[in-house]
Amino acid sequence: MNSPVVTRAFLVEARDVAKSFGQTAALRGASVAVSPGEILAIMGPSGSGKSTLLHCLAGIFTPDRGEIWFDGRRLDTLGEDERTRLRRTAFGFVFQFGQLVPELTAADNVALPLLLNRTRRRPAYKTAETWLERLGIGDKGANRTGELSGGEAQRVAVARALALAPQVIFADEPTGSLDSLTGEKVMDLLTALAREAGTTVVLVTHDARVAAYADRVVMVRDGLVSVDLGAVGEQVSSAKAAR
Amino acid sequence: MLRLGLQLTLRSGREALVRLVITAAAVAVGVALLLGVLAEFHAFQANANQACWSCTTGAPVPSPLPSHGELWNDSVDFYRGQTITRLDVAPLGPHALLPPGITRLPAPGEFYASPALAALLKTAPADELADRFPGHLAGTIGDAALNGAKDLVIYIGYTPASLTALPVVPGSTKGGPMPGTQWVTSISTAPAAEVFTPFFRYAFGIGVLAVLFPMLVLISTATRLAADRREERFAALRLVGGTPADIRVIASVESVVSAFGGAVLGVVIFLLVRPALAGAALIGTQYFESQLTPTVWGYLAMLVGVPAAAAAAALLSLRRVQISPLGVSRRAKPKPPSLWRLAPLVLGLVLYVYGLSKTTHKSIGAPAYPGLLVTMVGLVIAGPWLTSGASRLFGRLIPGSSALLSTRRLADNPKTAFRAVTGLVLAVFLGTMVGTIVPAINSTEASPANAALSNVLLDQVGLDSHQGAKLLSGLSEIPGATAYPLYSLQTADGSVGPGLGPGDTAVSCAVMRALAALGQCAPGLQAVQASDSGLFDDNPMYNTKPFVDSTNPAYKGKLSSLPLQTVLVRVNSPATLERVRTYLTIHTAPQQSAGQGSAPTPPRTFGETLQIRLDRAATLERIVYAAVALTLIVAGCSLAVAVGGGLVDRKRPFTLLRVSGTPVGVLSRVVLMEAAVPLLAATIVAAGIAYGTSILAFVRLAPVGTAIPQLGSAYYALMGIGLAVAFAVITVTLPLLRRMTTPGNVRFE
Repeated sequence: MNSPVVTRAFLVEARDVAKSFGQTAALRGASVAVSPGEILAIMGPSGSGKSTLLHCLAGIFTPDRGEIWFDGRRLDTLGEDERTRLRRTAFGFVFQFGQLVPELTAADNVALPLLLNRTRRRPAYKTAETWLERLGIGDKGANRTGELSGGEAQRVAVARALALAPQVIFADEPTGSLDSLTGEKVMDLLTALAREAGTTVVLVTHDARVAAYADRVVMVRDGLVSVDLGAVGEQVSSAKAAR
Repeated sequence: MLRLGLQLTLRSGREALVRLVITAAAVAVGVALLLGVLAEFHAFQANANQACWSCTTGAPVPSPLPSHGELWNDSVDFYRGQTITRLDVAPLGPHALLPPGITRLPAPGEFYASPALAALLKTAPADELADRFPGHLAGTIGDAALNGAKDLVIYIGYTPASLTALPVVPGSTKGGPMPGTQWVTSISTAPAAEVFTPFFRYAFGIGVLAVLFPMLVLISTATRLAADRREERFAALRLVGGTPADIRVIASVESVVSAFGGAVLGVVIFLLVRPALAGAALIGTQYFESQLTPTVWGYLAMLVGVPAAAAAAALLSLRRVQISPLGVSRRAKPKPPSLWRLAPLVLGLVLYVYGLSKTTHKSIGAPAYPGLLVTMVGLVIAGPWLTSGASRLFGRLIPGSSALLSTRRLADNPKTAFRAVTGLVLAVFLGTMVGTIVPAINSTEASPANAALSNVLLDQVGLDSHQGAKLLSGLSEIPGATAYPLYSLQTADGSVGPGLGPGDTAVSCAVMRALAALGQCAPGLQAVQASDSGLFDDNPMYNTKPFVDSTNPAYKGKLSSLPLQTVLVRVNSPATLERVRTYLTIHTAPQQSAGQGSAPTPPRTFGETLQIRLDRAATLERIVYAAVALTLIVAGCSLAVAVGGGLVDRKRPFTLLRVSGTPVGVLSRVVLMEAAVPLLAATIVAAGIAYGTSILAFVRLAPVGTAIPQLGSAYYALMGIGLAVAFAVITVTLPLLRRMTTPGNVRFE
């Protein structure tokens, strides 16, 4: 099947994406596009398919139907090795939990994608130290993740996501396990550093206050992107004001 | 990636270190035990292949004597239940052949003795042992001539003239070569054709299989310890761009490091326990420590093969789960075990019954072995089906949340649940077989006839009437000894009368009354003709049988004028027995082997002969019980590792259950039930099948009318201890459960 000409204005794009797990349809023709440097929030109720959409955009899942585009290339048709390489070089991830290697220290975890990318040990750890400092946990580098608070662990995850200078950061409920104050700190750091680096962020959340950090918000309902709120709307603005 | 793998293995905190240590320890136990079995087998093989100098055959002594080679007379003797191998030797020239273990032949009037015999000669009264050997001790025989440290061997030196002109009985004018003396020009270097070698090889084979399988289970369980936790880590690595190949390298490094460490530790443990193992005389021979060693290939197999196998096991386990960046996205959920899993077990039983039908009283059951092995493998294959069925039944019968949680998990993956108890089930199977068969064999051997004759010594003497009379007179002078003669019906020229065979004797009916277990004459007779050959049967499958009954014809001649063929001597104590034996050794011809592969029969009591048979059965029992004990140890370790690993894997759900109000007692019962259900189900089936197959073998091999054997106290003790240890192992992990699921641990990263 011939694909239409790619619009280079978008860095990441999903076109009519469908994905099922067994008999359950998680996505039923969702389409969304994210521009370079944009911070997009995907919102929706539980089970709406927002995380599945994020995983499809990140090349973790391959859709049953539709197309995923990244930087002018079809992502969904790439092999596992190539998608793995992209995750190592172009994507960063911040999830709610389960993303850090518990046996490693905070510094090890941040250096890990660099080491996997064949960066030499010394520069990898230097970069890790720099990012941990920037995230305000420079003194926690030698701690294992189990010894960190939830907020500190998430900051380690943010540092790791940013350490490789990725083109896109995919964040799935990055503050889901944190109290609101800690969540705000994490979001402040994530969005500020992403804007500073010009990194695109795709953010899944059900929390309007988190979505308020985004440039644009889309709503997912029943496996479809039902509403594109465009620039952050009134609802989000009021949530922001409430902070 | 290797470096990262090493870092994750060696520098990843306490939990990773504990996992490494547990894995290495489990592998070490397995490797040490496997090396022990290999060493024992190597010693056994080395022994079976050792040059059998006593199998040397020569030519009749020429006349005149040649100037090369040597005169050689090897025989066997007996002392307090132990066989003495004796060589009387005289060189015929300056370059005499040397039997192994010495650097020169003993001079006339000297003898060399094995270290064990030399020690015995110093402590035993001379009239019970030392008087049998002319001359004095000149040195000890080296290991090359011996099968083990406790072997009793003696080389006695003579001049050619003295060995060829020995009077058969002192005081007799009739001289000539000592019976059995040969002219030997080369000493045999071929191994002995031992009747029981294949028998022990089979026993070893079964023992090794029985230990090896649980050992592999242990090693694979240990290397996959806390697999779920590891898979979470691999998923995190995949999320940040680790490729499947990277994961494979890291998993292999982890497995290889712990398995190699365990293998090295296992070798060290084996070397430390080797002296004790050498002294254990597991198969009846106390091997030299130098023999009790695996080959270089054995060590290499452990140090290279075990880590390689561990890496392969780790990769295999990864193959079944696809580690995706979101975790284990597709665990190949095993299908519920189908009824087909019973097929190998049924096939094994059919093969076994067929094999038994091909087994005769005189074979040792080799045709039944393939069926036995397939049955054992079949039990392992059928185990998950049994576990699944038992968990369903258990879930229906037992109410409560513990039963619900445990049976759901068992039903979900019965294969994993059964794997932890595989070793125990095999141990129960083997233990039940041995516990049934060996006591049954022993009970058929220890017949009342044997008991009545246990203190009666039997010796084939072959003396003329004059020498026979002197021998009987000499024996009667030994306090506590009563001699009973059996006279030969052969004429002086060696021919036999019409209707008689070479073993036919004449025996007084008074003697038969004194030895009632050997039969009775018809009433009114003074003496009868009878064949005594049945007395010398040494087939372990048969009992001593009476050789006289009311149908034996009367003998009317004068018994004392006949040559003395056999003498039976009843003794009142072990010391008297050895004095009688010493007297017979000095005054009769030595007991020769009837040729290669045939065991010579030294003068022994019926009780001693029975004891030799029982010892063989006991040796088999010891080998298999040793295998059972090893299997229990290994299986216990497997169970501990599997239960402990399962707890680590389920830290999160168990902690959440506890946080949400589930008492620790309920969780403990879940852990206990998860191990107990497969263990009990498979144990009952294994014990039942083993008992049934043993009874089939027993019915096939035992004399008609023998009572069906019951399992003895030793069996119940061993099995009870084994199962108790298994449950103790599980309960040891329960404090870990309490500590791990402390609500304070509810944060998981």
